[in-house]
Amino acid sequence: MKGPTMSSYVDFHSLEPDDALPPLKKEPVTKTQLVRYAGASGDFNPIHTDDATAKESGLPGVIAQGILIMGFVGQAITAWAPKRFLRNFKVRLTNMTFPGDSITVEATVAQKTRSSEGLLILCDTSAKDQEGEIKLSGHFELLVPD
Amino acid sequence: MADKTKAGADLGAYTFEVSWVKIRELIQAIGDPNPIYHNKEAAVTEGYHDTPCPPTFITLAFQEFTGFFLKVLDTLGIPLVKSLQGEEEYEYLGEIYPGDLLTIEPRVESIVEKKTRSGPMDLVTLRTRVSNQHGVEVLRTRSLLIERK
Repeated sequence: MKGPTMSSYVDFHSLEPDDALPPLKKEPVTKTQLVRYAGASGDFNPIHTDDATAKESGLPGVIAQGILIMGFVGQAITAWAPKRFLRNFKVRLTNMTFPGDSITVEATVAQKTRSSEGLLILCDTSAKDQEGEIKLSGHFELLVPD
Repeated sequence: MADKTKAGADLGAYTFEVSWVKIRELIQAIGDPNPIYHNKEAAVTEGYHDTPCPPTFITLAFQEFTGFFLKVLDTLGIPLVKSLQGEEEYEYLGEIYPGDLLTIEPRVESIVEKKTRSGPMDLVTLRTRVSNQHGVEVLRTRSLLIERK
């Protein structure tokens, strides 16, 4: 998979409210990835890495760190637009993600307004699994300079 | 059950040093191929001074490396395995780069009990202000922490 290049960013000037951005489809979440994210982030809550502990606390098994899924959305946002345009990013974690889930990140333009500094773009976003279950939803705001 | 008397409590400022290796680890765990996070030249070409931190990087400053999250749970009396993240919000005021020494100022904004379909839960709202070694505020965060009972 290749990363974005400057020319591959979305042209927000040509987008209008309700327009969709190209979805980002992630590879299925793996247990190794959860361990890796635990080490990277420092979130060593064992419900993300140890099935026995997860089960003891009433879960069917390990669950992904919510902020890892938020990280997938962050990946999508900074592929759609240069990172420095990002002003605000908020998510609500609604459902648990399990190993094997394939997450797709989607977004649509909700609002497009002018400010003295440039174009303000508010987008609604969500991350869904292969069944269409919403794992998180939220929004982000970009300031696209003139 | 979260200690409701801690609502409004200042949790004490602490520092966190940003390293390129941790940015790299995070970006590899997420699986993000964006060249601005992997290659300083690509970042500089796009107008950054250095490899910028990805949007969710600040979560590292809240976790076990700094002891912050465990301290919050301990202060509030919430068992680690009963804690879940409900919401997370970042307001970006400036870039964060490798080598930056961040000062994190966290506060418990509120603690509310809520009845849900899956039973009662305590909702804890934490807010932090993050500034760099130049005294520039670079980020504000708001986190909603859930205690499953």
